[in-house]
Amino acid sequence: MMQMKKATAISAGLHAAVLVWATLSFSGKALDATPTESLPVDLISEKDFSQVTKGVKKAPKPVEKPKPLVEKKAAEIKPVEDIKPKVSEKPEIKPTADKLPEPPPAPEKKPEQKQAKAADAKPPQPMGEQKPDPIAETLKKDDTPKLSKVAERLPPRRPPQPKQKDFRELAEAALIDQREPRRMAAAGDVLNHDATLGRVDATASRLSQSEIDAFKRRVTDCWSPPVGLDSAQEMEVVFRVLFNRDGSIKRGPDIISGKATASGPVFAESARRAILQCQPYTMLRPEHYDNWKDMELAFTPSDMFR
Amino acid sequence: MNPADVAQSALPLTSSDLSLLTLFWHAHWIVKTVMVGLLVCSVWVWAIAIDKTVLYARTRRAMDRFEQTFWSGESLEELYRSLVSRPTDSMAALFVAAMREWKRSFEASPRSFAGLQMRIDKVMEVTIAREVERLERRLLVLATVGSAGPFVGLFGTVWGIMTSFQSIAASKNTSLAVVAPGIAEALFATAIGLVAAIPATIFYNKFASEVNKQAQRLEGFADEFSAILSRQIDERG
Repeated sequence: MMQMKKATAISAGLHAAVLVWATLSFSGKALDATPTESLPVDLISEKDFSQVTKGVKKAPKPVEKPKPLVEKKAAEIKPVEDIKPKVSEKPEIKPTADKLPEPPPAPEKKPEQKQAKAADAKPPQPMGEQKPDPIAETLKKDDTPKLSKVAERLPPRRPPQPKQKDFRELAEAALIDQREPRRMAAAGDVLNHDATLGRVDATASRLSQSEIDAFKRRVTDCWSPPVGLDSAQEMEVVFRVLFNRDGSIKRGPDIISGKATASGPVFAESARRAILQCQPYTMLRPEHYDNWKDMELAFTPSDMFR
Repeated sequence: MNPADVAQSALPLTSSDLSLLTLFWHAHWIVKTVMVGLLVCSVWVWAIAIDKTVLYARTRRAMDRFEQTFWSGESLEELYRSLVSRPTDSMAALFVAAMREWKRSFEASPRSFAGLQMRIDKVMEVTIAREVERLERRLLVLATVGSAGPFVGLFGTVWGIMTSFQSIAASKNTSLAVVAPGIAEALFATAIGLVAAIPATIFYNKFASEVNKQAQRLEGFADEFSAILSRQIDERG
């Protein structure tokens, strides 16, 4: 029995040692949750949200040295300076700008200053169409790859035709912002800390659900069900409607697609009448006009019977 | 607001607070009991393991030494006389028990050969059983800890997770920082259960086979010795 006591003592000692070691060494290391990824969340109203995401024309241009948001991020800011000239000389590479005699004055302060300096140095030089200023020339050279890229993205340039479609395509292409979206320093705007000039692929500022619902409700109210139609029938009609800015209908409703059923035409006609009858649709807000000026509306009997 | 501050304030525990002691200290008392019990089990298992390892090694050496002297041609009488004075174990005990029975039968009544063989066998059987019992003692503890330890630990874990879910429901907050410590301390119970059970199982299997081997060795010696004594009896009878 003496030996058992000794063994117990040894065992207890070993356990104590292991426990002490484990206590000292075992501690959950915090996962590397970088603080930059935590986003401050504000609760804002829908109206504010649409204002935030819409993109502001007066949004500040990238400044020379943006104040670092986080101390650790300081090293990553440098690329902004490299990209900046491309932004400032955007008007030069516009495909539609070839008609313009003179590019509009660059919004950047720096090029202006440079221009002023150049003008001071060589006052007799005329700023004509024949000889564009040397700074713009050099910048154009810098932008040559960029220009080719833009050209790829654009539809092939054709000789100007009176056709409206081509014009529209060109106009849309010109409207599209070709610059890559990039980080910007805080804008100082109360609501929008990261105001940009808007993005091509921005998803915000769509019709909100309440607007769509209000629109549907309105159409449903105006709709008189045709005789012999009930909600159980499976049919769907898709209209295309073009709206004016005041909510009235510019063109349509044109039937785009529909299921081939016996009562389909009757239903489609009644829905068409309802849409025409109820204009103008004032619940569609003019500030979102771009989003609802051209809409495809799908109607099913189950939508309409309420 | 500084994002770093937000991240910092969202975590109720800092990383240094997740040590073993804190885990233990925050646990429910039932989980604590389970943990302490399992820890005691682990200490006991290792104590038994150390004790048995030493015991088996010594027994094996004693058997080797005894067999060497037994087959060296030394007179059994002399061997008996040298062994009977002090307490013996394993093979020596077997030999002494058989010789004592032999001598008693001869000294008491020289004509009682009839049942002598059977009596010696019986005595040796009893001695073997006693020796095996001595070798096997406390091995059942190992078996029990090995099979029940994980379940006990699992019970602690289930209980701990139950309580931590209750507190989650009470605090109405499901962020991982709130959920994680409770689950971590609950899992700690299973960890201790496994730490206790795994060595117990391994040691039990090892020791069981060791006991088996030594018991067979004892039985083999008993048979051989019984054969020798039987020849003696036949010669004298």
